[in-house]
Amino acid sequence: MLFRVAIAFACLFIIAGVAGQPAGDTALAVQQTIAPVTSLIATNHEYDNGTGIDLIWVPSIDDRLAPSRVTGYEVWRSVVGGSGSRIAELPAGANKFTDEQCSRESTYVYSVVAISVAGNAVSISTAPIQPAREWINLHRLNLLAIAFLVSAAVIYFIQSARSGKKLFVRKIAGLDAVDDAIGRATEMGRPILFIPGIQDMDDVQTIAAITILGRVSRVVADYDTKIKMPVSRSLVMTAARETIKASYMAAGRPDAYNDDMVSYVTDEQFGYVAAVDGIMVREKPATCFYLGAFFAESLILAETGNSVGAIQIAGTAMPAQIPFFVAACDFALIGEELFAASAYLSNEPKQLGSLKGQDVGKAVALVVIVVGTMAATIGSAWDVTFMNQLWSALKVVFQTN
Amino acid sequence: MKRSTYIVMAVMALLFAVSWYFKAATYHGNVMSPLVAGFMITLAAFLTLAIISFVYQDNPFYKFAEHLFVGISAAFWMCQSFWSTIVGNLIPRISTGLSKYFGQPYRDEPWNFVYWLPVILGILLLLRLSSKIGWVSRWALAFIVGTTAGLSFIRYLRSDFMEQISSTMVPLLAAGNSGESLLSNITLSATGPFVAMLTNWVIFLGVICGIVYFFFSKEHTGLFGRASRVGIWILMITFGAAFGYTVMGRITLLVGRLTFLYKDWLGLIS
Amino acid sequence: MKREVPLFITFFVGTLLIASVFIPPAESWGENFSVYFDIIAVFAFFLGGGNLLRIHLQKVASKRPDWGYSIVTLVAFLVMLAAGLFKLGNPGGISGNLTTAQSWFQILFQNIMSPLGSTMYALLAFFVASASYRAFRAKNRDATILLVAAFIILLGRTPFGTMLTSWIPPQYDLLQVPNLAIWIMSGPNLAGQRAIMIGIGLGIVSMSLRILLGIERTYLGDDR
Repeated sequence: MLFRVAIAFACLFIIAGVAGQPAGDTALAVQQTIAPVTSLIATNHEYDNGTGIDLIWVPSIDDRLAPSRVTGYEVWRSVVGGSGSRIAELPAGANKFTDEQCSRESTYVYSVVAISVAGNAVSISTAPIQPAREWINLHRLNLLAIAFLVSAAVIYFIQSARSGKKLFVRKIAGLDAVDDAIGRATEMGRPILFIPGIQDMDDVQTIAAITILGRVSRVVADYDTKIKMPVSRSLVMTAARETIKASYMAAGRPDAYNDDMVSYVTDEQFGYVAAVDGIMVREKPATCFYLGAFFAESLILAETGNSVGAIQIAGTAMPAQIPFFVAACDFALIGEELFAASAYLSNEPKQLGSLKGQDVGKAVALVVIVVGTMAATIGSAWDVTFMNQLWSALKVVFQTN
Repeated sequence: MKRSTYIVMAVMALLFAVSWYFKAATYHGNVMSPLVAGFMITLAAFLTLAIISFVYQDNPFYKFAEHLFVGISAAFWMCQSFWSTIVGNLIPRISTGLSKYFGQPYRDEPWNFVYWLPVILGILLLLRLSSKIGWVSRWALAFIVGTTAGLSFIRYLRSDFMEQISSTMVPLLAAGNSGESLLSNITLSATGPFVAMLTNWVIFLGVICGIVYFFFSKEHTGLFGRASRVGIWILMITFGAAFGYTVMGRITLLVGRLTFLYKDWLGLIS
Repeated sequence: MKREVPLFITFFVGTLLIASVFIPPAESWGENFSVYFDIIAVFAFFLGGGNLLRIHLQKVASKRPDWGYSIVTLVAFLVMLAAGLFKLGNPGGISGNLTTAQSWFQILFQNIMSPLGSTMYALLAFFVASASYRAFRAKNRDATILLVAAFIILLGRTPFGTMLTSWIPPQYDLLQVPNLAIWIMSGPNLAGQRAIMIGIGLGIVSMSLRILLGIERTYLGDDR
C-alpha cells in the first residue's frame, strides 16, 4: 500500500516538474497565440421591429490580463444558407454588441474573433437565431405613464375652466405690453415688425410664434396698424398669411388684408438678417416682435431694433439666445412663457386652463426632485436600503430609452 | 444723387479695378482663370467692407450687398433642397426613369408609394395660388403642424422634462459621510469634496427655485415669491454665463474677417 | 369641410406619431414624416420664390425708391438658380457633384455668399459690445447679476483672469477666476438651464395638446 502511494506521489512530482519546466521553443509558441472569447450568446433585441440581435461574451483571457495582448474584436455574421461577413470591429475590452441590421425573415449565426499581433482566435459560433418583432415597447411604459399624467392634468384643467371655474394666472409683463406696443405703433403711424424666428414649421417654436401672431394680428386688424412680416421660410409665409387673413376677417375688415404684409426673403440665416436690418433702418418700425427659434442673429436684430428706437418684445426657447434678448429688448419671454403666450393672450378660459395643467407638471417635477434627492442623500450617506430603493425606483421611472 | 456720392462711387470703382488687376496678375491657382479669380477676390473684399459699413449707417454699398446676398442665397437653398430632397430622396423612390436621368440608384423598397403623399400635399399647398380652392392648402399646413406637434410632444417630454428631472436627483452628501467630517474640513479647493457638495446643493436649490419662477397659476408672494426671486437670480446667472461665454467667440469672428482683408486680399500679413 | 378636415388631419397625424413611439414596427415613422415635411417644403419654394420675384419685379416696374437694388436681387437670384439647377460649369454635368470647385454654383457660393454670410455674422462683435454697454448701464439687481456672471466667465476664458488671481493658495483656488468660471458653468448655470428646460418641456407638451385637440387653431386661419 505504502509502496503504491509512494509511486503515485513520484509520478505526480514528475508530471508537475515537467509542466513547470521553463521556456523551450514550444512554450514560447503557446504564449503567442491568444485564447478566444467564451460564453458567446446571441439573444433577440427586445422591443424592436425584428431588426436587432444582442450579443454578449466573456472577453478573451488574454484581454483580461495586464497588459492585454488582444488588440480588438471582430464580429462575424453568417446567414443560414448563405455566406458570412464581418459586421463590426470593436476595441479590446468589448464584451457586447447589438446587430441592428437584421431581417426578420433570416436566421443568423454569429462568431467573434479576438485579434492580436501574433494571430487571431475564433470563438465557437452561436446557435442559429431569428430576430423577433414586438408590437408594444414595454421599456417605454414609464414614458407612456408620464405622457398620460401630464396630458390628463392639462385636459382636466381645460375642462374645468370650460365649465366656468375661475382660474388665476399671474401677470406676464412681456405679454401685458403687447396691446400698448401695438397702440404705440398706431399713434406713431409706423409699422410693426413681426419676426417668427428663422426655423421652419417643423420647429415647435415657429408654431408657437404663429399662434401668437394670430392674437397680435387681431389687435393689429382692430387698430388698423401696418404690420410687416419678412420671413425666412416659404411654409411660414403661407401659414402666416392664413393667420393674418383670418384675423382681418374676424375683425370684419377683410378688404384691409393684403398678402404683401408677409414676404419671403431667403432661407439663408444671415441673408435674412441683412434684409431685416435693412428694413428696420429704412422703415423704422415702432414695435418689433421677435418670437420663435433664434440663433446668433438674435443680437444683431435686437440691437438694430434698439438703434431705431423700437419697443421690442422677444421670446425664444433657445437657452443660448435668451440672454441677448434679455439684455437688448424691453421685454423677453423666457422659454416656457413663449409657449404659454398664445393661451395667455387669448384670455379664453379653456386656453388658460392648459397653463394650470402645465403647473401640475411642474409640481410633479418639484416633488420628484425633492423626494429623489433626499432619498439619494439619506440612502448614500447613511446607507439606508429603503431610501436607496426609492431613489433607484424614481430613476427608473424618469429614465429615457 | 449728390456730387459727392458720384465721387465716392468713382473712387470705389477705380480701387476695385486696381485691385482686380493686381489680384489677377498674382493669381497662381488652377480652379478658374486669373481674370475671374482676380475679380472674385476683389468682389469678396468689396462685399466684406460693404457689410461692415452698416455699423456706421445704411448706405448704397450695404444696400447693394444686402440685395445681392438675398438673391444669391435664396436660390442657393432652393437648389440645395431640390438636389438633396427631390433628387436625393424623392425621385429614387417614385420614378425609375428620372432616377436614371439624374444618375441616382433606384431604391426599390416596399411602401415607396407612400412618398406620393407629400407630393400630393405639396401640390395642395400650391393651390393656394387659386382663389377658389385655395383653402385646400390648409390640409397641407394641418399635416405639417400635426407632424410637428406629435413629434415635439414626445421629444421634449423626454429630453427636457424627464431627463432633466432624473439627472437632478443626486446625493447632496458624499457616500458614507453624514456631514460631520466634511464640515470639519471646509476648504474652497476647486477639486475638493466641500466644493463638490456645494455645487450639488446649488444645482438642487437652483432648479427648485427656477421651476417656481415659471409657475403661472399661483401668486408669487410669501415664501413662494421669495423662491421665485431666487429663481430669477439663478436664471440671470445662467444668461450672464451664456453671454460671457459667447463674447470671445464673436470677437474671433471679426478677427477672421479682418484676416481675410489683410492677408488674402491685401497680402499685408503672411 | 373647410374647418373640420384640417382639424382632423392635425389630430390624426399628431396622435399617430405619438403612438408610433410605443409601437416598434412604427418607430421609424417619425423620421419618415420628417422627410415628407422636407418634400412639402420644397414645393413651398415655388410660393416663396414666386413671392420674391413678384415683390422685386413690382418694385422695378413701378420704379419705387431703391428699385435699382431690386434688379440686383433679381439677377443674382436667377443666375444662381440657373447655376444650381442646370449645374452650369460642372465638369460632371447634370449628375455631377453640386459643389464641385469649378462649378458656377460653388464659385458664386465661395466668393459671394460665403464672405457676405461670415461678415454679417462678424458684425456681432460690434453688437455684443453695444449690448454689453447697455447691460452695464442698467441699474437694477437682475442686470447686475447677469453682468457679474458674464464678466467672470469672460475673464475666466482669457489669460488675464489666470494672471490676476493665480496668487490665491490651492485651498481657496475656487476663487481663482478660471476656476470660478468653470464652477458657475457647472453649478448655477446648469441649474438655470435645467429649470428652463423643464419649463420648456411642459410648455411644448401643453401647446401640442392644445393644437391636437383643436383648441389652438389660429394657424389654420381659424379664430373661432
